[in-house]
Amino acid sequence: VLGWRVAAAVTWSLVLLPVCTAAFIVLSGLHLLHPVRWISNSFNDLYTSYVIFCILLMSVVLIVISIFNVEFYAVVPSIPCSRLALIGKIIHPQQVIHSFVHAVMGMLVAWCATVMTKGRFQFLAVSCTPSESLDDAVPQTCLNEYHLFFLLSGTFLGYSYSLFYLINNMNYLPFPIIQQYKYLRFRRSLPLLIKHSCVESVYFVRNFFVAYYFFGYIPKVWICTTMDLHIDSKLHPLDTLSGLLDLSLFYHTWLCGVFLLMTWYIAWLLFKIYATETHHFPVQPTFAEETDQCLPKILNSNPPLLIKFLALQDLMLLSQYSPVRRQEVFSLSQPGGHPHNWTAISRECLSLLSDLTQRLIAQQEAAAANGRAKQPVGELKVPPQTPGAVGTEDVSFQSQRSNVVLRATMSPLVKPSLMPLKTSPGSDIGSPFTSPALNCKKGVVDVNSSWHGPLQSPLVMRRGPKLWTSVSDHQMNGSHHESFPVLSAAKAGSEAVQPKFIYTWLQNKQEQIKNFLSRRALIMYFFSKHPEASIQAVFSDAQMHIWALEGLSHLVAASFTEDQFGVVQTTLPAILNTLLTLQEVVDRHFKLPHVSSKPSRVSGSLVDTSYKTLRFALRASLKTALYRITTVFGEHLNAVQVSTEHKKRLQQFLEYKE
Amino acid sequence: AGCPVRAFAWHPHTNKFAVALLDDSIRVYNSNSATVPSLKHRLQRNVASMAWKPLCASILAVACQSCVLVWHLDPTSLSTRPSSGCAQVLSYPGHSPVTSLAWAPSGERLLSASPVDTAMLVWDVSTENCVQLQWFGGGGVTYLAWSPDGSKVLAATPSAVFRVWEAQMWTCERWPTIRGRCQTGCWSPDGSRLLFTVLGESVIYSLSFSEYRGEMQGQVGGSKTASIVADLSETTFETLYGDERIGGEVHSMVWDPTGERLAVIIRGHPDSPGSQTAIAVFRTRNSPVFELLPCGFVRGERAAQPQIIAFHPCFPRGALLTVCWSSGKISHIPFFFVSAHVPLASPHRSPVPVVAS
Repeated sequence: VLGWRVAAAVTWSLVLLPVCTAAFIVLSGLHLLHPVRWISNSFNDLYTSYVIFCILLMSVVLIVISIFNVEFYAVVPSIPCSRLALIGKIIHPQQVIHSFVHAVMGMLVAWCATVMTKGRFQFLAVSCTPSESLDDAVPQTCLNEYHLFFLLSGTFLGYSYSLFYLINNMNYLPFPIIQQYKYLRFRRSLPLLIKHSCVESVYFVRNFFVAYYFFGYIPKVWICTTMDLHIDSKLHPLDTLSGLLDLSLFYHTWLCGVFLLMTWYIAWLLFKIYATETHHFPVQPTFAEETDQCLPKILNSNPPLLIKFLALQDLMLLSQYSPVRRQEVFSLSQPGGHPHNWTAISRECLSLLSDLTQRLIAQQEAAAANGRAKQPVGELKVPPQTPGAVGTEDVSFQSQRSNVVLRATMSPLVKPSLMPLKTSPGSDIGSPFTSPALNCKKGVVDVNSSWHGPLQSPLVMRRGPKLWTSVSDHQMNGSHHESFPVLSAAKAGSEAVQPKFIYTWLQNKQEQIKNFLSRRALIMYFFSKHPEASIQAVFSDAQMHIWALEGLSHLVAASFTEDQFGVVQTTLPAILNTLLTLQEVVDRHFKLPHVSSKPSRVSGSLVDTSYKTLRFALRASLKTALYRITTVFGEHLNAVQVSTEHKKRLQQFLEYKE
Repeated sequence: AGCPVRAFAWHPHTNKFAVALLDDSIRVYNSNSATVPSLKHRLQRNVASMAWKPLCASILAVACQSCVLVWHLDPTSLSTRPSSGCAQVLSYPGHSPVTSLAWAPSGERLLSASPVDTAMLVWDVSTENCVQLQWFGGGGVTYLAWSPDGSKVLAATPSAVFRVWEAQMWTCERWPTIRGRCQTGCWSPDGSRLLFTVLGESVIYSLSFSEYRGEMQGQVGGSKTASIVADLSETTFETLYGDERIGGEVHSMVWDPTGERLAVIIRGHPDSPGSQTAIAVFRTRNSPVFELLPCGFVRGERAAQPQIIAFHPCFPRGALLTVCWSSGKISHIPFFFVSAHVPLASPHRSPVPVVAS
């Protein structure tokens, strides 16, 4: 799926390239006093061979850039939680390669620009202006500093683009809030893109000027010595103020920057538009070989994250707009009469939602355990949100990590919040799709209660999560957070009967080191987690859950009239339980500090920051989903088997009092 | 002009309504509680329209001079002055004054439009993101109406053109009218018929759309021409009290959510003496054929003109028409009838006919 889309996006960006090049040539030959000559010269230039060659070279550049876009995209943004994480991200080898290649590409583009601009920029080495003295009869070749300036500016622009890409999370693919045809989306974003390129180019060129002023002599000297050129003493050297205050130089560099940024941004925008377009997944495969591509199968297996996102988006759209496909979802299999499609879809959606519930509960427990200090919420188990790592999270909602989490948080200070968690597995047993997780979870509870025996000091328990947080802080973001808690869980498990004083001595030592280091302000500066960023990191893949909620609730609402076999009714208790539990947990989560404050919004920027407010969208769509179900079913909901606590909440929803 | 009530909105699921007054405050009246919260905000000026969010307890969107205010009210609170912290401000440069609002019937998106902006904004309220839907020519939007099944949106412009957008891929159809701008319009409950009127003409037009099946993406599916279904030009009725002249242009029109009653404010000709503004009520049916039969007239006290009319979205025993008069009174007029369709709580789904035995 993605391959075809990428090819289409690259083709379109290549088609638009000559248009941009033509505009560049026209604008670079700017001659306000002789407009007719300017226009005719520009049009003549458009057909020359070196322009064609430049266009071909730029196409190669664009293809390379697109390859990098494809390699680096992510549907779940990776949000660095602390400054050290941010620095780590920048130094990461993948990012270094990205920056290096972009710098080289920038240089190539700048070289093309110099060729097309002609004039004084064109060649690296020109013959020096003849000096008056009769000693040097032999003309020497001098360094054309303007050309070098251009090439270096290209490199700098490429590197800045790459840095900006990283910091603004431009590899994140936001899905649009309304569906539109691709052409309309592109046309709508184009003016913004042009404006953004111009403004950004000004900033980058200004920074480059400053950098060249201070460091410009280094490459100059290096090129001169390697290529045996001389510095022309007659002309002003460019790394002085008088050299740099050249308006025409600034204009040409800026124009080159705009050209570069615009072509790269167009490639990126087209990739974004193509990749986030909806894909139609068949619900019921008509041919045997299509079975792998049908919606229930895809949702249940573990596809690459983009495919899963597209599948969920398709589910949301079909549940709202397509009665034919809804019928396929509600249909029974032949023979046997099993509602495979519905079972698969609802199981996947519910497991997604339960996973989110658990994650939020874990974070709330960690926040409660870490306590009263004003320090930002420490996270017990935040996996690095790179595309690779997120895959492991989606395996099942019962993973080793959640074992550890439950163990750590089953301390005496556990609030009754975990009670709904225990009852929902209980009600799940009755439902047709029991997950094998339940047995394991029961096992965890037993081991934990036995563990309570030997090590009962609540002080140790209380300190447990905090220490794990700090130690995982020390390990930074490079290593997996999972490995350490798992290790210690295994260690603790085996040590359950060993004497506890070794354990406490170790903990004390770690505590001392941590206290010592935390007094060093510099280290805390790097290690302290930005609260807003940590909150965003928890909700970074909430888009999946929002779609699952919408799709599920629309299907349930539609089933009131369209479900002929009653396949939805048997799963209604489970659905309601999951939704109500999630709603409670989300409401409680929003009472934590910083969670309900909205980050400031910058409208009209090309950079998409919608991932910052995903949690609000999740809360709103959760409420709407619940209301949708209660509005359609009305009083019939009283006949559904749910726990009394949930019944009370449902009554609130029925009376529109939530 | 001169009416103290600026805008009126019924809550889609409960017995609650909001009234916007001339002093830029909004009062929320609830039949279940005696407290009347009064909403005030410094940005709430020149309120033109209000809309409650569907599938929600109490979120009210208010179209103000410079922005759209979304009030998140607590349905169980007893305070009479909710703080202005409950209001979310949605503003976009160049998009003011906002005069029309429409929520999607599935409750997720809010459309806002302004007569000076040639772009409608589709808001995702919780993330405060918006998407601009731009078109060329025709000016801004003077009237917005979303069909109850969620598939189409009517956007009337100040020029002699109105557009019907389909809400899945957001493409639009342009409908030029002959003489004037589209004054008002309303949708049938299943979204298959649009009744609209044109400024300067005293007829009601009907435009039918093909049944929305979900397979035709990107097509609005409107029929080729609109047909005239009712002629409301001035006629004289002989009553016990003498001759009454009623008829003229249509000021506003609303259709009740069961599709059975249509209420129209008819403004008499200002020049001719004795003509008055009255509300005409029609009995309508949309399936199997469209039928429009006159049912009666509603008149208020002497010298009170009807300004705003609205039907209650979920009146269980027929239809409830609310009229805001120019004297500042709000009256509710019930119509008791047995509907031919099963009344459903969510008005945006097509009604299922009851099988007679």
